[in-house]
Amino acid sequence: MIKSYSKKKKIQKAVLIIIGLLLIALFCFPIILAILTSLKTAPEISQSVFALPESFNLDNFREGMETSNFGRSLLNTCLVTFPGVFLIVVCASMGGYTIARNSGTNRFFKLLDKVYLSSLMIPFQILMIPVYKMFKTLHLQNSLFGMVLILTGTSVAYATFLYVGFVKSIPKELEEAARIDGCGPYKTFLKIVFPLLKPITATVAALHVMWLWNDFNIALILLQKEEVRTLTVKQYYFFGEHLAEYGPAFATSILSMIPVVIFFIAAQKYLVEGIAAGSVKS
Amino acid sequence: MKRRKISSTKTAFYVFAIPGLCFFAFAVLIPLIMGINISFTDWNGISTDYNYVGFDNFITVFTDKRIRQPILNSLLFAVLGCAGNNILALSLALFVNQKIGKLGNVARVVFFIPVCFSQILTAFLWKFIYREVITQIFDINNPLGTTTWVIPAIVVMGLWNTVGINMLIYLSGLKNVPVDLYEAATVDGATGWQRFRKITLPMLMPSFNVCVTLTLTSWLREFGMTLSATQGGPGGASRTISIYIFENLYKFNKAGYGQAVSMLFVVFLVLIGTSVSSFFRKREVEL
Repeated sequence: MIKSYSKKKKIQKAVLIIIGLLLIALFCFPIILAILTSLKTAPEISQSVFALPESFNLDNFREGMETSNFGRSLLNTCLVTFPGVFLIVVCASMGGYTIARNSGTNRFFKLLDKVYLSSLMIPFQILMIPVYKMFKTLHLQNSLFGMVLILTGTSVAYATFLYVGFVKSIPKELEEAARIDGCGPYKTFLKIVFPLLKPITATVAALHVMWLWNDFNIALILLQKEEVRTLTVKQYYFFGEHLAEYGPAFATSILSMIPVVIFFIAAQKYLVEGIAAGSVKS
Repeated sequence: MKRRKISSTKTAFYVFAIPGLCFFAFAVLIPLIMGINISFTDWNGISTDYNYVGFDNFITVFTDKRIRQPILNSLLFAVLGCAGNNILALSLALFVNQKIGKLGNVARVVFFIPVCFSQILTAFLWKFIYREVITQIFDINNPLGTTTWVIPAIVVMGLWNTVGINMLIYLSGLKNVPVDLYEAATVDGATGWQRFRKITLPMLMPSFNVCVTLTLTSWLREFGMTLSATQGGPGGASRTISIYIFENLYKFNKAGYGQAVSMLFVVFLVLIGTSVSSFFRKREVEL
């Protein structure tokens, strides 16, 4: 009886492992296919999509880099993402701290908290046309600076919301002790509070690097000129124009995947923690 | 001396809120108010002058024949995407949660990696798969080119791209179910299915709440991936409401009307989001 029970368990486990391997293969398939195709020449691709490349050549990568102006878009994406995330962390940590400490006693902060929270329901579609109009009037179209401003502004409410929840869980005593010792409010925040916020800062930063890096909606509306296009918009137009040239197109897509995957490996812990805690917007 | 210190702390609390508020006002509050204004005009998206047309735009929404298809498409996207995503995400989470050693960890990472890729990249990879691989293996037409299969085909792309997020949310929900509940049920002779149905599902209600609301509203807003996969084609068969709003700005030069559509659309989204969320909240169990 016991023996057959454990045998049944073993079979179950084996079946599970096989299903698991199949699922893993299925999820990896598009990525592996992309790598294979990027290494093949055009005739090789048209002959068979599955066959391994005959020789290891990086011509597609060279050609892709040249025709797509890839380096420029990579730089643009970096110039948008990192200043954006920096501003989000600065604004949201201060804002979240002050809301968490004052929303119980002060009506202004209570209102601010509610406004931020309800703004999370606003989808970008409703802002698309007005933002386009505003940027046209301000001559901020095709400007990476304007792009940073808008990305920070649309993300700050959510990031603040994450900070509020975290600050509420840390005790006030340290701040009070610092104040008694004659430490001013700004210094207290910088030297005492901000270091305590490290875990949530890591989560906020990791999530927003991912979101800002992959942003398409805002970039599509605002960045029309070739030289300011970020990676996503660049690829949108490049893939549209060079439909038949799979080799170079796949090569550039692999190149744009590499930073994301490296980032993922480095920040995996914080991304996973952030999402598992339910801190995700769409 | 003491009073000055307290007041400086108070000022500081307001100062801390200012930078975030400025950005927020610039990117959300001001455009929101401008948007209400634009929806009452006939602005074409290019010129600097425009006229107020009262409620005309809103009335047109209800008589516009071109908007019917995008509405139906978005609803189909939402139903298929939401059902597919949650069923798949929960299955993957249950699988990863099994005691299968290292494989579980590897699977968790692999299922999550596509989340890091942009919608554009996803659309590109899958367009290639549909065009070159699926057609060869199954000897069928490219599903992205047929009006019946284009939406399911895009949903599959989306599942690959985003299912990892919901899997993680379900996984953390599963980890929060107390083990003694299962042990007690096993002692009482409950089968595996009964344990799942009577313990796991009710205990997962908070996760269902988050995941279903998120996927439903995000599929209703579907934009980037569909735009780059099919441009809304073939023949408008995959045009969503968001693409329609975008086209009113860039293609049809009817920004005022597009904004009116988006105002009504957002009211609908908020209603759907809050009612789905309250549906699940009522079913949450307290321990």
